[in-house]
Amino acid sequence: MPLTNPSLTHLNARGEAHMVDVADKPESRREASASGLIRMQPETLALLAEGGLPKGDVLATARIAGIQAAKRTHELIPLCHALALSKVAIDFELDEPESCVHVTATCRLNGRTGVEMEALTAVSVACLTLYDMCKAVDKGMEIGAIHLDTKTGGKSGDYRREEARGERAVTPSFIESAASPIVTGEGASGEVSVGQRGDIAAPCIRVKCLAELRERLGVGDVTVPVDRLASSDVAGLKTALKALDARFEGLDQGRVLCAVNQVMAGDATPLTDNDEVAFFPPVTGG
Amino acid sequence: MIRVQQRVFDVGDEQRALLEARRDIGAVVSFTGLVRDFNERPEVQALTLEHYPGMTEAALGDIVEQAQSRWPLQGVTLIHRIGRLAPADPIVLVVVASAHRRAAFEACDFIMDYLKTRAPFWKKEHTASGDYWVSERDGDHDAARRWEMSS
Repeated sequence: MPLTNPSLTHLNARGEAHMVDVADKPESRREASASGLIRMQPETLALLAEGGLPKGDVLATARIAGIQAAKRTHELIPLCHALALSKVAIDFELDEPESCVHVTATCRLNGRTGVEMEALTAVSVACLTLYDMCKAVDKGMEIGAIHLDTKTGGKSGDYRREEARGERAVTPSFIESAASPIVTGEGASGEVSVGQRGDIAAPCIRVKCLAELRERLGVGDVTVPVDRLASSDVAGLKTALKALDARFEGLDQGRVLCAVNQVMAGDATPLTDNDEVAFFPPVTGG
Repeated sequence: MIRVQQRVFDVGDEQRALLEARRDIGAVVSFTGLVRDFNERPEVQALTLEHYPGMTEAALGDIVEQAQSRWPLQGVTLIHRIGRLAPADPIVLVVVASAHRRAAFEACDFIMDYLKTRAPFWKKEHTASGDYWVSERDGDHDAARRWEMSS
């Protein structure tokens, strides 16, 4: 790491904390990966692996938590900027010999500031969520070794942590931020979805396509800015989606159901900022 | 008690847990759904169950609540599995306990009919001739509608 003139950029000339003005910095592609781990009893890890914990799908929940945390880093770390992340990927590796879960987060954006805090926050919160999901059976779990692995882009140059201990090569699978396919089943993790990111600051509707519909349209998750909606309801959202991408014409083919914030809904159901809208085929459980 | 899980369940264990230390229960009815090796196509080798976490639990909770409001029930256990399952694997379990058998039979039937048509689960079957998503059945909707007419 080229540390020619190390100084604390969050302190001004008088030593007071301040937020760095990034308006004049050039935009570049920034990426950062961080990792950490949570140690637990072998029995807890076994339960986690077989989906036997009382709170349900532990890894899927921790993945969503990590992605959400990355997006909200600026609300937690006082001098962090709000960033429109283009990608967040969270990966888990169950390590039986060490009796722990390795958590890796990778964040990316084109912008003026680095994303290492986002990656570190994502790992931390994913670990905390793992703790919460498993604490009913194991209160002695220990979170540790949270650190930055790599960072690319920006004035301070690239950084790669020395591979001191553990030569684990982690290749995180990318999924779109805002686009965490909540799918449980075979090959669920890291499923790639095509997402259209709106400006993160603008009010947005989060759209999910599930099961057969996701495969038929080739779209998992999409974020649509509220101001793209002709009318503030599901019908308006469908029109906006079709204007965005012709594949959404498929929403009119066959019977497609809809839920708003996880409650069954119809074309006339009103929508507001940050609503979650899911489209899916008729259900076939039981 | 409602659970969505990948791991297998044991009908006996679940029923014993529901009845444990209870002396007011006069009838317990249980239904187990299994993976068949034939469906829309023959030679089903496996199936994968996808669901919509969050909404699934809410939908199942709502169905059980409706059953409890229609019949005097002493206890309900509802377990649905997700992930990849093989023929003969159990998928779903409903155990209903009541003071009298009629309520237990009917509530169990009702919960399965509503689960089939209202809970966000989707099956993809893997067969010798390829994978496909299972389509809905009219019969399931007819079955669920019986309860609307009688209420």
